[in-house]
Amino acid sequence: MKRETREYHYDWNIWSIIENASRTGDGTRKEYDTLLKLIPHFRDSLDAVIRWGEPGTLLLKLLAQCLNAVLTAHEQGKKVALTTFCFAPPILHAFDVVPLVLEPMTVLGTFILQRGTGEYLDYCCEVGFTETSCSSQRGALGAYLAGLGVRPDFIICDSPGICDTNANSYAFASAYLDIPFYQLNYPPFLTGERASAYHRQDFRGLISFLEEQTGHTLDMDRLRQITAEIRRQSELITEINELQRIVPSPVPGIFNLFLYSGNFLMGGTPGFTDLLESMLKYIRGRAAQGLAGTRSGKERARGFFSYIDHYTTDLRFWTFLENRDISHLGCILSTFWQEDAPYSMEHPDAVYRVEDGDLDAMIDSLAMQVSRMPMIKSIRGPYDAPHMWLDDTLTMTRLLRADFVAYFGTIGCRNTWGMVKPYARDLERAGIPALILYADAFDDRVQSWDAVIDKMQEFLSLRKIGTGRPARRPWR
Amino acid sequence: MMEEMREAARALYHPLVRKWKEAGKTVIGYPCTFVPEEIIHAAGMLPYRMRGIGTTSLSIGDTYFGPVICSLPKCMLQLAGEHAYGFLDGVIITNGCDSMRRLNECWRKAGEDIPGILPGYFHYFGVPHKAASYSYEWYEEEIRELIKSLEEHFGVKVTEKALRKSIRLYNESRRLLQKLDDLRSGTEARMTGEDALTVILAGSAMPREEYTALLKTLLKDLKKALPIDKGRKRLMLVGSSNDDPEFVRLIEDSGALVVADSLCFGSRSYEDLTNEEGDPVASLSRRYLNQCRCPRMFGCYQDRLSLILDKAEKARVDGVILQNIRFCDLHGSENGIFERDLEARGIPCMRMEREYGPLVETGRIRMRIDAFLERIA
Repeated sequence: MKRETREYHYDWNIWSIIENASRTGDGTRKEYDTLLKLIPHFRDSLDAVIRWGEPGTLLLKLLAQCLNAVLTAHEQGKKVALTTFCFAPPILHAFDVVPLVLEPMTVLGTFILQRGTGEYLDYCCEVGFTETSCSSQRGALGAYLAGLGVRPDFIICDSPGICDTNANSYAFASAYLDIPFYQLNYPPFLTGERASAYHRQDFRGLISFLEEQTGHTLDMDRLRQITAEIRRQSELITEINELQRIVPSPVPGIFNLFLYSGNFLMGGTPGFTDLLESMLKYIRGRAAQGLAGTRSGKERARGFFSYIDHYTTDLRFWTFLENRDISHLGCILSTFWQEDAPYSMEHPDAVYRVEDGDLDAMIDSLAMQVSRMPMIKSIRGPYDAPHMWLDDTLTMTRLLRADFVAYFGTIGCRNTWGMVKPYARDLERAGIPALILYADAFDDRVQSWDAVIDKMQEFLSLRKIGTGRPARRPWR
Repeated sequence: MMEEMREAARALYHPLVRKWKEAGKTVIGYPCTFVPEEIIHAAGMLPYRMRGIGTTSLSIGDTYFGPVICSLPKCMLQLAGEHAYGFLDGVIITNGCDSMRRLNECWRKAGEDIPGILPGYFHYFGVPHKAASYSYEWYEEEIRELIKSLEEHFGVKVTEKALRKSIRLYNESRRLLQKLDDLRSGTEARMTGEDALTVILAGSAMPREEYTALLKTLLKDLKKALPIDKGRKRLMLVGSSNDDPEFVRLIEDSGALVVADSLCFGSRSYEDLTNEEGDPVASLSRRYLNQCRCPRMFGCYQDRLSLILDKAEKARVDGVILQNIRFCDLHGSENGIFERDLEARGIPCMRMEREYGPLVETGRIRMRIDAFLERIA
């Protein structure tokens, strides 16, 4: 790692950039336009968020708060839990533990820093990781392993049984930093009493672990407040999901990023509710005008990104889609399986319900919520089994009327690379054009963004998607 | 006797399997040590640990698996696609790791394209990644479902008596393998690492009764054998699956002797015994799920480090080779921390990433081994 990189604490660095960015929307338009000229390395990322008005500014303010909470946690006597995106954080908020979520930290570094997170990725390899390990953790983890960030007090991960490389990153961090580790481990199927009982027991083990680490017991009143917040958030997310079904979709593509990053970092907090309400206000306005969520208000094609998005520098992935009037209909990260979601209706036993009758009911609700988080729900078993990836993708593409499906992942993702070819073939057989992109969503060095664009454009062109001659779909 | 072992270790469909099949008996393949062999044995079938040896192409493996996947399951799929596993009456896939668990879908999908490669019995056995009261229960239920499905599909009965007998037999052979380890890693080593691996591999693919008898004879002979470690550096081999005796020979040809290992085609498969008292299914659950030797069991790094340290001390090793198959991040990354912690205790280590399969990398590997041996000379 270069000396100048070592001069900055990663989380402080990211916080200071986001904190400043969050204030840029507070001034006049003229001030903002002038500022953009003065920050050549940040303006594209900044504008990709701020140009959406209040929701963009609010997201940045909330992100700054989350990062500040990490930075100041120890001063305030709070514990910091290093955790993963697919773990729902409400239980941590209930214990007043501050989540430090690696993958969003990697995403922030990837799109904000002009050099990306290459040095942190490589630092992980210097201290022992294989270079083929998942970049989504390594991008930020390198900084924490190098001591360039807040030292977490313990680790919680919920990917064992779902994704080896994710779980392996956290297990490695625990061994390397010599800090306690708790894993939520998932069985290969989702539904039925046997799986539910496992989910519940494992989650209660987590509560015991948190009680041990924090020295307090679970506060019922606090949990009730959080449960009420989750209920409200589930309703708001459902409304966004519903609006996304409209043709043209009034939901700006980047709102998917707002949605899942908000849920991963702030799920169960009032701040996330505010963000969802702000996003909805904007989306409802677009829907009322019959406009798409793209910058032009037009929609030439509808794409579902069946795994994750691409987080290249300057958020160029979203700009690419917007410039081509392609509606981003979400990805696995923006599906949470709350009971009222449009995609949940056909799968009533695969959803989570928010219950607040008593302590047990609330704990069970949280356990079910975590077990339905992105990836945790759909990637645990054979991809073609009920409630798994193919089933979910087919449901989503049908409900959302997607013109195509694209897969972005990371080179570390054994779990999806192990079967993405037959998965894509099955989608094609169902009449859905499917593109596998051999890029790494967090590391442009694997495949440059320009090469990714070429592949996407070639695919869209060859399949005549967005050309005004829509391909035949089974649901049309 | 070693020749019989070699035959069983170097070919998939070796004479003992052929004999078994000719007697009209059933062979069940499985890819990982987390599948309880005793159940298959108690059903009167031959548990057969699948391998990827002898592949000369990955055309089929690469068609279904993605590009960044461990070459071991790809080789297995390749062999299946070429009908080399046509003698298997059934297969049990497990989630040993992500690459291996996707063999389930890839084999099934390949079976849609290549008629006759998918065995009539194809079962998924879900193994938890942690040892806790509820995960033991889960594993027990998996065993009971496995028994039920074997019984229904093959019209057999797995009785408690047969299961207890199988547990005793497997314990007996594991004890013999532990004794073999003593002779291999003792002050005067009496067996090469290459031969030791051959013996272990043979056990994964031949009837256990015959194997146990062969082991007894082998142990008697070895006790009389002359020491072979004079002037050779004593090494321990750790990491991803290795079922290739030639890989070990390559190391030993450089002037070393592999006196100990922590490998799943190795000591990990026999270090733990099953409790012969109490409910046999519960005992098997404890035995298999308590194995923290594989990094698929997350959060047990210190236990694995302790095991390696104990073994290294007992075998008086001069160095440790930490190897992993490319894209095996579980072993590969943990090897990185092992290297830090073993070197800190004065145990020289060499990390090596390799491909599974024919030794196409012989030159590179030999050069690295030579350099390592020079370092620890």
